[in-house]
Amino acid sequence: MEIIELRQVTKSFGQVTAVKELDLKVPAGTIYGFIGPNGSGKTTTIRMIMNIFFPDEGTIHVRGKQHESSRLERVGYLPEDRGLYKKMKVKDVLKFIGDLKNTGNIRSEIEYWLKKLDLYDRADKKVETLSKGMTQKLQFIATVIDRPEIIILDEPFSGLDPVNAEILKESLLELQKNGATVIFSTHDMNMAEKMCDYIFMIHKGKKVLDGTLHNIQDEYGNDTIRLQTELGTDALTGVRGIEKINDYGQIQELRLRQGTETQEILAEVMKKSRILKFEVTRPSLHDIFIRIAAPDRKEENYA
Amino acid sequence: MRKIFVIALREYRTAVRTKSFIISLLLVPVLMGGSLAVSILTEDKVDTADRKYVVIDHSQLFSEAIQQSVKQRNESELFKPGTQEKIRPSYYVEFVTPDSSDLLKQKHDLSEKVRSKELAGFLEIGGNVLHPDNDLSNAYVRFYSESSFLDEAGNWFSGPINNHLRQLRMQELNLSPDSVKELFYYAGIENMGLLKVDEASGDIQDAEKSSPVQSLLIPYILVMLMFMLGIMGATPLITAVMEEKMEKIAEVLLATVTPAQFMAGKVLGSACVSLTTAGIYIVAGIITAQQFGVGAMIPYNLVAWFFIYLIFFLVMSGSVFTALGAACNDNKDAQNVSFPAIMPMILPLFVIMPVLKNPIGGLATWLSLFPPFTPMLMITRLATPVTIPVWQPVAGLAGVIIFTALTVWAGSRIFRAGILMQGQKPTLNNLVKYIFKG
Repeated sequence: MEIIELRQVTKSFGQVTAVKELDLKVPAGTIYGFIGPNGSGKTTTIRMIMNIFFPDEGTIHVRGKQHESSRLERVGYLPEDRGLYKKMKVKDVLKFIGDLKNTGNIRSEIEYWLKKLDLYDRADKKVETLSKGMTQKLQFIATVIDRPEIIILDEPFSGLDPVNAEILKESLLELQKNGATVIFSTHDMNMAEKMCDYIFMIHKGKKVLDGTLHNIQDEYGNDTIRLQTELGTDALTGVRGIEKINDYGQIQELRLRQGTETQEILAEVMKKSRILKFEVTRPSLHDIFIRIAAPDRKEENYA
Repeated sequence: MRKIFVIALREYRTAVRTKSFIISLLLVPVLMGGSLAVSILTEDKVDTADRKYVVIDHSQLFSEAIQQSVKQRNESELFKPGTQEKIRPSYYVEFVTPDSSDLLKQKHDLSEKVRSKELAGFLEIGGNVLHPDNDLSNAYVRFYSESSFLDEAGNWFSGPINNHLRQLRMQELNLSPDSVKELFYYAGIENMGLLKVDEASGDIQDAEKSSPVQSLLIPYILVMLMFMLGIMGATPLITAVMEEKMEKIAEVLLATVTPAQFMAGKVLGSACVSLTTAGIYIVAGIITAQQFGVGAMIPYNLVAWFFIYLIFFLVMSGSVFTALGAACNDNKDAQNVSFPAIMPMILPLFVIMPVLKNPIGGLATWLSLFPPFTPMLMITRLATPVTIPVWQPVAGLAGVIIFTALTVWAGSRIFRAGILMQGQKPTLNNLVKYIFKG
């Protein structure tokens, strides 16, 4: 059952169409990743789901009910730009947000989340004294303090170090395990691949990908080779059938032209260098993202 | 409604816990009381240095009389009774013969002496001052000094001059001063209020003396209090909301509350802060007045009207300032919109004196029924001793309620559109667009 459904949603700002005729169904209890280049329309889509922006056309249904002017209940939202009252104490700001959301057992929830996200010793400090990462974690707690059914996070991992990103990821998975539906936008393709049940990509306001990672990769087929040789990229010079090389230093990822046989590539590279690793695989989400977004790098603001 | 209260409570707590609230709470009475205290303390701190005056007496009638009066004054009026503390300057007067060839130069020379502090001033008495009917143009008494309007010497000289004139005129008429003593009795008018029936006993109560406190001071204090509470409560909303917008706090909150709830919470919280201040001032004012035995002068029946009008005034102005704050992007925007927004609060102050002089006149009546001005001007009129027709405060209140509803509606439309809008200036065109198109 879809907990969120967008039907032919369009939103424009002046002459710029930020989101165009967007259809999207988010099944309950899943983790849905929103990806797309900067300014592609992710934030606008999220703000429309949150009822902060109204769509110019189309409808948005949350829990089967079309919403237009009423505020969403039991939906946690972490905006792209973090904002909390800097002069308030950490526990006071959480109490305030918790009261707004009518959270039961607010004190125990505050204690639980502060401990879980390693901020308990900062409870009596003012928000302005926290580091960027701590503020982000605090903002996350404010988002989930009432244990909402739907959690919508706009780039929750940006600016977090790997340790904190891991803590945040674990928290999200725990919330999902307890029944929450999670939507988050991200530029971290690795995180999206690992965490998301479904991935949705928007580009220039239009939906370009939507489905499970498996389905998306199926669309692109087994046209990718991950290769490690003693000569690195020098071993690939003059090899026919390669459309694009992504050089990661130790490893090169090759995208093959349509109709190219992987064995032909293997044979040609073997003539030039000793092969340490050769893997035929499906394209990564990162590669798919680049394939869609890279042809037109001129950035326009659709956010 | 619960969310509005949560936001209002945060606003209220944040405001009343700040040092600036405590300081501003104390500052107004300190400034008002302080200026009073300073004037009392400095009352006796006058310049007691000797002062020399020159008199050009064209009539040649006053030399002896004025010198006699000056001598008497210097002997008996310079010291605080029972002490050696000098509280007034000694006067010394020199009579000079008028220079008929060049009087203007003579007076200019004296003026230069005044400027060089050699003299404190000089008097010129016209030649026909005893019989003005003969030649009114020469029946003058002129006092020249650097600030003759404020120099009390001018008033003082008027006493001996007029007393002497009176004596000279009586002598000419062969009248003895004792026989015409009552001729100079001045029957002053006592300003009284109106008689009324005591509600408890049913007896007619005699009128009380009308005082400047009742006629001017109380209305003035009430209107200034309302103005000050409006400024204190509403104007900070522009920057507060603008900061919430620019620091993205608004977006976080708008995920949980509607813009209307957000705005209502802000306005309610700020109104409660102002009402707290008003309550403290009114209670403190009543207690102080009772302590000084002037509690009877306080118009207790006005307290309810004051708070009713104040509430709508705060909601009305709060909505405007909150909406404008949402439409601003930086301090420059906030400064640009603040002045026009404050104007409806300031304009009633410009007409306070005409309203106080004639509270039931056409100007006072119609301006006090113009909703943006009603709270301040109607309370001013009601605070005067003049009876205002009962329908007027009621009609004024109805107008204010309707206008406040419109302000809140328009304000919430601007707030809704502006709070997440970046880069749009709060121009009149944009504000109108936000109201009608969202």
